[in-house]
Amino acid sequence: MEQGIKPLGKEKLWLLVLLLPTLLGLVLGTLGSVVATTGISLTKWDLIQPMQWNGIQNFIDIFKDPEFLTSLKNTMLFTVLYVPGVVIFSLIAALLLNRKIHGRSVFRTIYFLPSITSAVAVSMMFSWLYAKDRGLINTFIQSMGGSQVNWLGSTDVSPINWIIKSLGGAPVSALSLQIVMISVVIANVWGAIGEGMVIFLAGLQAVPREYYEAATVDGAGGWAKFKHITLPLITPSIFFQTLISSINAFQAFEYIYMLTRRGNGSSSIPVVVFSIYRNGFRWHYAGTASAQALVLAAIIIVLMLTYFRLEKKWVVYE
Amino acid sequence: MKNKIVIVLALLVMVIAACGTKQTSGAVEISFMMWGSPEELDVWEQVVADFEATYPNIKVSVEVSDWDSYWDKLNTLYAGGTPPDVFAMDAPIYIDWVSRGALLDLQPYIDADPSILDGVYPVTTQVYILPDGTYGLPRDFQTIVLFYNKDMFDAANLPYPDETWTMETLKEVALQLTLDTNGDGSIDQWGFSSDLWDMELFWSEAIWAYGGEVISADHTQTLLTEGAARDAWDFIASMMVVDKSMPDPDTASQYGGDAFDAGVAAMTTIGHWAVPQYAARDFAWDVAPMPAGPAGRATSVNSAGFVVAANSEHPDEAWQFIKFAMGPSGQTRLAELGFAIPVLQSIAESPVYLDQPNFSIDQQVFLDALEYAHMKPSFRGYDEWATVVGDALIPVWLGELPISDALDQIKPAADEVLARNQE
Repeated sequence: MEQGIKPLGKEKLWLLVLLLPTLLGLVLGTLGSVVATTGISLTKWDLIQPMQWNGIQNFIDIFKDPEFLTSLKNTMLFTVLYVPGVVIFSLIAALLLNRKIHGRSVFRTIYFLPSITSAVAVSMMFSWLYAKDRGLINTFIQSMGGSQVNWLGSTDVSPINWIIKSLGGAPVSALSLQIVMISVVIANVWGAIGEGMVIFLAGLQAVPREYYEAATVDGAGGWAKFKHITLPLITPSIFFQTLISSINAFQAFEYIYMLTRRGNGSSSIPVVVFSIYRNGFRWHYAGTASAQALVLAAIIIVLMLTYFRLEKKWVVYE
Repeated sequence: MKNKIVIVLALLVMVIAACGTKQTSGAVEISFMMWGSPEELDVWEQVVADFEATYPNIKVSVEVSDWDSYWDKLNTLYAGGTPPDVFAMDAPIYIDWVSRGALLDLQPYIDADPSILDGVYPVTTQVYILPDGTYGLPRDFQTIVLFYNKDMFDAANLPYPDETWTMETLKEVALQLTLDTNGDGSIDQWGFSSDLWDMELFWSEAIWAYGGEVISADHTQTLLTEGAARDAWDFIASMMVVDKSMPDPDTASQYGGDAFDAGVAAMTTIGHWAVPQYAARDFAWDVAPMPAGPAGRATSVNSAGFVVAANSEHPDEAWQFIKFAMGPSGQTRLAELGFAIPVLQSIAESPVYLDQPNFSIDQQVFLDALEYAHMKPSFRGYDEWATVVGDALIPVWLGELPISDALDQIKPAADEVLARNQE
């Protein structure tokens, strides 16, 4: 850790004053919410009547609730598909835009645009692309002589089930993968490429040029350079990006809800955050919703600890 | 030292600013929240302006949100202990809110001023008046009727729907009006379209018309899966799955959820709130009574109302406002808006409602429907129960599950929700 310049005398006071708004926000907002959620999770509360102590009953009940378990499964499946998607595609985007090409900054801006566009607008665009009878993708497929695909439907596209079926077996519903999940992951990955790209560009630019020059002298090709120089040196960025997208994946809600919502306010692939929202704000089960939120937080924490353990094994710090 | 004083002052200013400024003038301010469109906000601001002119010592701050945000906000305000003084309530979840002790009993005010209910359609107050008190009053009501696209009937040379229609007529004509107009092999005009997410638009009416029931009177038993109600479900499934004269939910969602509004369905069943929206479309349409079933003609009536928060600091002023909104002045503005039907009989049966300049449709149909209308059920846990029922039916509409299987699944799941909400 590098030693910075320490604030002196009344500077210390000003430092405190200037940090106060942020600190207050953190303590009252973030920390306060965590404490409140923990408290509420131990009660029965409908947001209106006084809370009733309920011990750990909410935590027992949610694991018996088929809807919560379904949402947990959906969130896991989403994360498994989404995280590699974001890391790979934003790395590719960063590699392409790290070259000296014309209009580089324009392209970078374009790739970043989804990050600053409202989720509702992006979801509207995707639902227009995915629509069954009048969607852009299906119109294109049909003009090429293909047949319609129900992109937001429940058709099973699981490769494992496909193999089982082609071997003459019966598909296993636990291994099924609905096509709507793939469509939703694509929309989410598309929306996240910009931010990932920025992380990777920063990582790529920190790689010293001399390494590549030395490798060129030694006669290394493009792939060899990428594999032996670029990839090891950007492992910190890959690590960071994996971490951030995993957190985002567990908290994903907007795009998914917008693309899969039904007329009665439910969703065709309910995820955990949706379940929390519906229990807390629609059905007046604030205790249940808080318990679900804490379980989600616990899963994220365990995942992060695992990541940090693994970090030592494969992340290279120069 | 001087610097420290500056800092302390700066902090003080921040704290004071954060606390906000309290109103110190003589007027009492009450807050009023409702769901609705921007057009509705305009009208309610008019009602509020009229009210403030009559009662200069009461100020009303109006806040209008869309349906989803409205309930999110309301729940959050309640959780924080600062609910609005007066707010809009939907009858089906009224009992739910009453059971949580969230609402003020208005009965003492009504007892002191019983004339407020004079000339109000009794069916609209039915749901609000409970044995132990009256926690809200209706502001308008909605009956469900049959809307039809005249252009499509004319093109097919078919007579318009009228009071002779039965459910069988609806099914036959719907099939005749289901067409593949561009010959590409897929249907692009449906005879009938209705939203089956909630009971209100079509399926509760069908169940009643076939002689079934939706839920037991004491709200402990889900009855929509039993007896004659099954005939109604078979009828609906035969239209959507066999005849394909109704678009399934996936297909309808591509047309914004309302195929009639999109001009691709010849008929729909919906309430008066759709009138201003449909009036902006470029096809001709009108309304007819709900078709009769084997057990007679039935429709659904629902009334939106006003309630006062149990812990309101200004219950008297809140009551004054409700009284005004239910009175001739408020009800006239409401009728002019065109979304809903006034609860005050004298206004509903006057030209203000019957001859609305913007819509040349048979407004009387909505009033006549009251004679055979059933009140939309209201009970604790309504939202949760409705989701369980609506979700289980989706595979049926998509042709993946027989209706009888779905109904068998619904019964235990829906009854469990009711049991959980009996506590």
